[in-house]
Amino acid sequence: MILQARGLVRSYGATPALRGVTLGLAEGEILAVTGPSGCGKSTLIHCLAGILRPDAGEVLYLGQRVDTLSEAARSKLRRGAFGVLFQFGQLVAELTAAENVALPLMLAGTGRREARTAALSWLERLGVAELADQRPGEVSGGQQQRVALARALVTEPRVLFADEPTGALDTLAGEQVLGHLVRLAREQGTTVVLVTHEPRIAGYADRELTLRDGVIDATGMGLTDKAVGA
Amino acid sequence: MRPSAAVRLALAGTRTDALRVVLTTASGALATVVLLLAVTVLAIPTPGKPGDTSSDSWSRQYRLELLVEPGLRPGVVIALVLLAVPVLVLAGQCGRLGAPARDRRLAAIRMAGATPRQTAMLAATETGVATALGALLGLAGYLAGRVLLHRPDAEGRLLLPTDVPPPWPGIGVVCVGLPLLAMAVTVVLLRRVSFTPFGVVRRTRTRAPRPWPVVLVVAGFGLISLLQPLARWADRRHWTLPVPLFPILLFVAVLLAAVGVVVGTGSVSHAAGRILHRFARRPAALLAARRLMADPWSGSRTFAVLLVCVLFGAGAAAVRAWFASDFATSEEASRWMARAQGQPYVPRDTSFYFDSMDLVNGVVGVATALAAAGMLVAIVEGIVSRRRAYASLVATGVPRGTLARAILWQTFAPVVPAVLVALVAGAALPRGIAGESRAGGGSTQYCVGDWDLCQDPNSPNLRTLEVPTFAHTIPVPFADLAVVGVGALAAVLLVVGAGLLVLRSATSVDELRSA
Amino acid sequence: MSATPAAGSTTAHVLLGLLAAGPRHGYELKRAHDERLPRAKPLAYGQVYATLGRLQRDGLVTAVGQDQAGGPERTSYALTPAGRAQLDSWLERIETPAPYVTSTLLAKVAVALLVADADKARTYLVAQRRAHVERLRELTAVKTAPGADLGAVIAADFAIVHLDADLRWLQTTLERVANTHGEVRS
Repeated sequence: MILQARGLVRSYGATPALRGVTLGLAEGEILAVTGPSGCGKSTLIHCLAGILRPDAGEVLYLGQRVDTLSEAARSKLRRGAFGVLFQFGQLVAELTAAENVALPLMLAGTGRREARTAALSWLERLGVAELADQRPGEVSGGQQQRVALARALVTEPRVLFADEPTGALDTLAGEQVLGHLVRLAREQGTTVVLVTHEPRIAGYADRELTLRDGVIDATGMGLTDKAVGA
Repeated sequence: MRPSAAVRLALAGTRTDALRVVLTTASGALATVVLLLAVTVLAIPTPGKPGDTSSDSWSRQYRLELLVEPGLRPGVVIALVLLAVPVLVLAGQCGRLGAPARDRRLAAIRMAGATPRQTAMLAATETGVATALGALLGLAGYLAGRVLLHRPDAEGRLLLPTDVPPPWPGIGVVCVGLPLLAMAVTVVLLRRVSFTPFGVVRRTRTRAPRPWPVVLVVAGFGLISLLQPLARWADRRHWTLPVPLFPILLFVAVLLAAVGVVVGTGSVSHAAGRILHRFARRPAALLAARRLMADPWSGSRTFAVLLVCVLFGAGAAAVRAWFASDFATSEEASRWMARAQGQPYVPRDTSFYFDSMDLVNGVVGVATALAAAGMLVAIVEGIVSRRRAYASLVATGVPRGTLARAILWQTFAPVVPAVLVALVAGAALPRGIAGESRAGGGSTQYCVGDWDLCQDPNSPNLRTLEVPTFAHTIPVPFADLAVVGVGALAAVLLVVGAGLLVLRSATSVDELRSA
Repeated sequence: MSATPAAGSTTAHVLLGLLAAGPRHGYELKRAHDERLPRAKPLAYGQVYATLGRLQRDGLVTAVGQDQAGGPERTSYALTPAGRAQLDSWLERIETPAPYVTSTLLAKVAVALLVADADKARTYLVAQRRAHVERLRELTAVKTAPGADLGAVIAADFAIVHLDADLRWLQTTLERVANTHGEVRS
């Protein structure tokens, strides 16, 4: 188990978003988290990635508690061992594609030139090398998402969190982003948590887990995993 | 659309909108008070015969000499009107607070079938109503101040012209004109925003600014440096230059330099961004550099007023040094002459000049505080309007410290060189007129003993004294300039620090949820 | 299923399901069928009687009486125990996930809600959904396999998009059944 969650509870004011979620991820596994909107998918991924602290329960990465780490330590985790990919809007509008991808490396202390070289090679792997010096606003949504994927993967994270990564894209662009994501994750042995509401996107995962009203839907609705709840 | 419906729709908004309305009202009130004071100073009655500039025309009921002499009052009025400028800029800055949200709301109203004119009028109505309210508050404050501050001191003198009856026509012009002006400015500012039914399209200037403002600054300096040779050249030919020529040239030079510095902020920002980008090694500097290059105007607008304050502050410091040097030199000459004539030396009272300079410094200080408030609003607005981008950066592991440093870089990279330029320009302008203080020179006749003994031009008691020339280079007031520069930068630092307080709430994960 | 010549015919099973509520004659069956399974093409009378004939021959339905009041002679049919067993086994059988199975799925769910309870319908839906998801995953693997040629990708896309549509419908139906199973019954 590379990542585990036990009894996660999280509320926004009086509104409960997670009401006790327990799950585990094996190394290299691709897990889809599905469910209707408002079921707590995003809150779950935020808790797992250490973006949010759960009100109760625990998150363990390689057996170490994540939720009790300081903000600085979780921030470091997110730009090192974890990669994060959102639906849109995570690229810095003013930076070029290459600079955006180089940013996490520079944050980790890599020199600018070296970071750019690494960024270019990742853009190449995602087929958007020719966009290196363009700004996000100058390229299509699918290309932006590929740049964002390059940025999420440039630090070679152990776990990639993708929250509706194709939600803002048309079908083909979404397929391409997902194809790259799955291919690269398999190559690198990256564990992936993929939040989506689309069955077609969930089809890219090894296993699917459905949330309903803040709990894992164990009634069998959409549940195809024997090990869920373990 | 009926006015009531317009007001209702104009005032429908969120808490940010409410804050904008409150700030607009407050700055409107402040501007009203300042302008009403100017109107009142204009209305101070002049005793004595018209055209008489002797002391008969003085209003001795005031403590401030600037108010006593009618000839000095236009300067006071100009200073007050100039003081209203940073207040109005502050109001303009407040108008941008939460503007994207308002623009979206207006786009929604547009989608519901309003015409482009109607939507522009809605935004203008909001500003107009808020400013009108501010004007009323300002008027109330002014009238209350007249009563509360009407306290003659022991000699029966007043601090402010509270004895002047309210000049109602002028008050009317200010209270009606200010809201109308604010509405006009809003409409002009919104011309870059077109509310299509499909959302907001904001056309921004993205091309790199051209360096022509530098030409303005250089032209101003060039003009100033021509003044002295021009005077000497005219002197040699025994020409008398027409009286207003010199002040007009000086004014044009100052205006050129001031406009150059203000308009040049865009260029300075862009250039600072380019240089920073070349040398940036850390992410914070890189982010700041790219942002400065991407939109050099948005940040630079905010510190233009600060630069004008620095320009005036530095100029005032240089003028003060000039006065001090002049007075010291003439005192030296007077002492020498008194000693040579065997008479006691009576020092001259020069406090008026320094009191006036203190007043100028006070005005510059208040204007700097207002400029800083405007910057604060702009910085907070900049952070709040980018909160989603900031929140997702934090979510991907960018430390908040990096973002804070980026904002610090982004603010200071253009401000530091611009403040230096403004300091140099401000200090150099008075020096262009006079580089040194001179006194004495030539010869003077004096009488030994009683003046009666010297009625006869051949009297032995009448002596001629050759007075040597006393000349001193006017020193550069480095200490005062440092106070002005460091004060301005400290104000900016304070403002950025206060602005960064909103960074934490702006980067909370909740901002990611409202996708 | 050699003993059930009508097996494989969705229409035959829908008629069995409709008869589960009680005996009806052909005209009523046609109307009930068209109401419950709206399609572009209504069921023809000839097809109803031909199917009923086959079902009767196989012993799945039986004629229970004639009604002649104010019109042509009409025969009512009723479900036999063998028919009921055949119906249940059809309802429990998961459809092979493939493009264009939705109409069969619809028939099954509609009949399940008619003859059984919501739980039964849900159990069926969950099982069917699982089969669909597994097939979807297989096809996605085919598509994303290194070296997959364009033809294979296009063919996989075709199946995936249809399965995706089925899955959305299944999901929605599951939620509807969970929320309002009482209202669906006739």
